[in-house]
Amino acid sequence: MTDLDQTKYHPMVGVPIETLKPKKVRKNIDLTLWERLYIFEILRGLYVTTKHFTSNMIGFVVAPKGKKRSIFTVYYPEEKVTLPPAYRGRPVLVMREDGTEKCVACGLCEKICPAFAISIVAGERANADRYPISYMLDMSRCVYCGYCEEVCPKEAIVMSSEYEGLAERDRSNLRYPKEKLLRSEESVKDRIEYIRRIYSKCNY
Amino acid sequence: MLADLIESIAKIVFIFSVNLGFFAPVLGWVERKQSALMQDRIGANRADIAGFTAIGLFHSLADAIKVLTKEDFVPSGANKFFHTIAPFLSLVPAIVTFAVIPFGGHYKLFGHDVHLVIADLDVGILFIFAFASLATYGVVLGGWSSNSNWSFLGGLRASAQMLSYEVAMGLTIIGVIMVFGSLKLTDIGAMQVNFFRWGIFLQPLGFILFFTCAIAENKRAPFDVPEAESELVAGYFTEYSGLKFVMFWMGEFLEIVTIGAIVTTLFFGAWHLPFVSDRMLLSFFQFAGPNGANMLAMLVNIATFFAKVVFFIWLQMAIRWTLPRFRYDQVMKLCWKMILPLSLINITITGLVLLLWKK
Repeated sequence: MTDLDQTKYHPMVGVPIETLKPKKVRKNIDLTLWERLYIFEILRGLYVTTKHFTSNMIGFVVAPKGKKRSIFTVYYPEEKVTLPPAYRGRPVLVMREDGTEKCVACGLCEKICPAFAISIVAGERANADRYPISYMLDMSRCVYCGYCEEVCPKEAIVMSSEYEGLAERDRSNLRYPKEKLLRSEESVKDRIEYIRRIYSKCNY
Repeated sequence: MLADLIESIAKIVFIFSVNLGFFAPVLGWVERKQSALMQDRIGANRADIAGFTAIGLFHSLADAIKVLTKEDFVPSGANKFFHTIAPFLSLVPAIVTFAVIPFGGHYKLFGHDVHLVIADLDVGILFIFAFASLATYGVVLGGWSSNSNWSFLGGLRASAQMLSYEVAMGLTIIGVIMVFGSLKLTDIGAMQVNFFRWGIFLQPLGFILFFTCAIAENKRAPFDVPEAESELVAGYFTEYSGLKFVMFWMGEFLEIVTIGAIVTTLFFGAWHLPFVSDRMLLSFFQFAGPNGANMLAMLVNIATFFAKVVFFIWLQMAIRWTLPRFRYDQVMKLCWKMILPLSLINITITGLVLLLWKK
């Protein structure tokens, strides 16, 4: 026999089936007689909903104070939620203080982008620094995955917390040029700190 | 003669304005707001007139304007005649049933006997059932004539469900009729002066069964299989828009009011306050003179009646927003295997007790 004899070698994966005790499965979940009478279960359900109703009704007349607010609805255009740094809004390019972008046009984000939303034309400054001559981000393609941010070695593209103003009547307006993407480093500070932690970019 | 005419017209105008002018629009708001409060939401509050929202009440007005300006759409291949007539058949019975429901006793105003019921029929409760079963035609015709699969399925379900519960509902009410010995709703109301002679104490099982059947007859959750939103888009009125849609919608809301009124009349002492008889009420208002006392007693009785109705509307809304929808076979099983035998048992026990009581 060859080494391929299956009887000799048993790879152990999980628990052997012999050691498993058959579990009793309740296929027909029988209700007790009390539950099948149904009327008392209805009353129990009505008690729960009525409790909510009355407490909210009292809160409706007498406004509850502080954190004891039971209704958490946010009146959207007037009120806005404070988004956590983990929120992935639209991607933005980080700007240095002198107004130039951090991006060095390495093309990694262009490569990783699963939706082919980014297209970069690289160029070189007089002091031999690389920079993107044009950085086009097609927001109609972007899927907000955040891979560009993860792959970026220069923390030059990050997912901001912006989620408004992304609707257009003309699709061609959704191709965002570099000027539309630039944001100051200050405005995305929280996110940069977050990605340093989450992607272990602290040693860059 | 002229006084009778004025009285009748006044009563009709009153019932119409209360039902169509108050309950129909306000219930739309109540349903939104109550469901919101029960689910820890806020509910409709955006429609405003000059920044004044009136806790969302203007949504009814906005809906009315929207509906009036909508296209009256008839799908291609639909039977236009039946498609048009179905909403009427659904709405009219809901309004007509109020003709026999007493919303107060009888009073002597300026030497004239005022009975607070539009038509004091001897067969009051049968009249209500007869007209309530006409509403089935509206639903079935609306479902069938729309030339849509969703509507058709909804109509089929509605016909089976409504006919089944019609039978059961008729039987659940017989206990009450046996106890009070009358089909006349004014008589039944007048007999419940004593608090412990209210229908709920004489027929507790009858009340539960009747209330269940009534909700099923109105096709509201947990019995909303004919219009099940998650399965049939909107069921039998999928293809309706504009005012026709609103007629179905109003018919449903007016039936809520009707059910509340019937339950109040049959089981919860109609227009009587607990422990307060009509004579006590009149002597309490003695200071206002005979006419004034009658007037005040009438107002108190009407207010009592409608307070009870409002409570039952609230209860129906609470049930609608508490319970999930039954499966279709469960709906049928509940009707034919639970409610029908139980109502027959109820009739038997009531009959035996009445027989032994009288001996």
